[in-house]
Amino acid sequence: MSYLLEIEGVGFSYGGRSVLHSVTFSAGEGEFLALLGMNGAGKSTLLDIVSGFRRPETGSVAIAGRNQRLWTVREMSQQVSHLPQSIHSDLPFTAEQLVGMGRYPHTDRWFESDEDHRFIQQAMQRTRCWAERHRVFGTLSGGERQRVLLAACLAQNASTLLLDEPSTFLDIEHQLHCFTLLREEARLGKLCVAVTHDLNLALTYCTRLIVLADGVVAYDIPTSQAHSDADKGWLALFSSRLSMGSTPAGTPWIWYR
Amino acid sequence: MSSPQQFSFVARNSLALSVLVFMGAALVLPWVGAGPISLARVLRHEAPDYDILVQLRISRTLLALVAGGALSLAGALFQAMLRDALATPYTLGISAGASLGAVVTIAAGWESFFGIPVTWIGALAGAFSVLALVIGGGFKRRQISAFSLLLTGIAINSVCAAFIIILSSFAGMSRSFSIARWLIGSIDATSYSSLGVLAVVVFVTSGFILSQARSWNLLAVGERWAASRGVRVGGLLGTGYVAGSVLVAGAIALTGPIGFVGLIVPHLVRSRISPDHRILMPCVFFFGGALLAFCDALGRIVMPPAEIPAGAVLAIIGGPYLVWVIRQRIPVEEI
Repeated sequence: MSYLLEIEGVGFSYGGRSVLHSVTFSAGEGEFLALLGMNGAGKSTLLDIVSGFRRPETGSVAIAGRNQRLWTVREMSQQVSHLPQSIHSDLPFTAEQLVGMGRYPHTDRWFESDEDHRFIQQAMQRTRCWAERHRVFGTLSGGERQRVLLAACLAQNASTLLLDEPSTFLDIEHQLHCFTLLREEARLGKLCVAVTHDLNLALTYCTRLIVLADGVVAYDIPTSQAHSDADKGWLALFSSRLSMGSTPAGTPWIWYR
Repeated sequence: MSSPQQFSFVARNSLALSVLVFMGAALVLPWVGAGPISLARVLRHEAPDYDILVQLRISRTLLALVAGGALSLAGALFQAMLRDALATPYTLGISAGASLGAVVTIAAGWESFFGIPVTWIGALAGAFSVLALVIGGGFKRRQISAFSLLLTGIAINSVCAAFIIILSSFAGMSRSFSIARWLIGSIDATSYSSLGVLAVVVFVTSGFILSQARSWNLLAVGERWAASRGVRVGGLLGTGYVAGSVLVAGAIALTGPIGFVGLIVPHLVRSRISPDHRILMPCVFFFGGALLAFCDALGRIVMPPAEIPAGAVLAIIGGPYLVWVIRQRIPVEEI
């Protein structure tokens, strides 16, 4: 099997503070990874490294079987799209202009082509923000903004989607919709990596859980085996007050004590 | 879907309008001034009308058009790079450096060096010393943060302002008056040779900046956003700062620091026409040039034979107008 993403011994530190020590894992098309970990575990930093925004101090990252350093920034952005955790909110751009920026890496045309507009419309309809297309981003609510940003990532049409807390600010209906959509993308042959703190969303929609702790991948378990994992050590990592049960449908469910 | 067509329709119309306004200003404004100029006498090359028009009014109008365009475009560029709607050519301290350089040459009493006005050389030297300080310091840590650049700019502004005060207090009566006048920012007739040099520098630099319009769109959203959409952020910021500084230094060396045009024009175009830099930047250049030329012409006719410097006219008209525009905006929080 060929991997879309191979991370090998990646380490990174801010100043003297080491965040990632040696992270190693690989993932291929069709997978939907939940990247889990406590605050400050280095989840966002890892996404920054994979997207090429930061350079790892040690180790290497390969995208679609080729070392990341051999890709140009432009080629990288055709392969990998990144949904940032937060964005300067008082932007003057309209929702449609912002989503249109996802098409920039694909063309040197000065203005978007009809094909670009089809991608834009399709992405915005899938994330349910097409009705908001003429509104200025700064005037949208938190949830509407998040949907527009997700549409911008979809419009980029990359094979790997990195999403830093994609469900923040979304109401429950839209959280479910967002994760359903990402699972669809994975089934269509893409690789989705989402940082999230919502363990139940991760268990319900993702195919695999990657738990970062102490700068390494502490646990790497397929969601289907999360329930049978004997000691549930990965769960204790988050809080001692979590227990795992199952829903009437038989899927794992985490509840708080 | 009508939106793509509608988009380019608005874009094309506002671009055409801005070019028309720019050309109109170039054709009409030289005829505006304290004394009437007779077309018939100009056509017969008769003094003094012909000389006033060709030697004074036209060169002055052209200078205002080019400098106004350059300063406005530089404002739009810095606002995109720093993601701050209040950024101007002043913000990074570049124009403060240019002012200090020019003031040093005025205070020292140097006038021209092989025919080139020494204030020009002084301003360029000042601007690039500041740029080297700001960017050099920023690049050492490999990542330039917009916030630290803004703070550095404030510090440089105060230091340069202090030196300008010290210099002008030691410069003697007449020189300190010409320093004060230079600092207000005025358009004066210049030689066509320095105007030509400025025009070439401004058009080449502006052309480069415009060609990167899509990248400025991405940077205006965020550096991560730009990086994951194909922009080499570090390299682009570096060239952007150099290009913006070339525009600012070149323009204010001949006009004095008229920074307000770089705040008001991008703001109006962004809110009235489009925030998309592919449309915003050319519109800003043409409207900015026309606005400065208009203010200069207005300053000539308000109370002749005295002239009000264009920088002062611009501040008097533009300040209240900008406040009015901002008041009209509905605050985001209330929606």
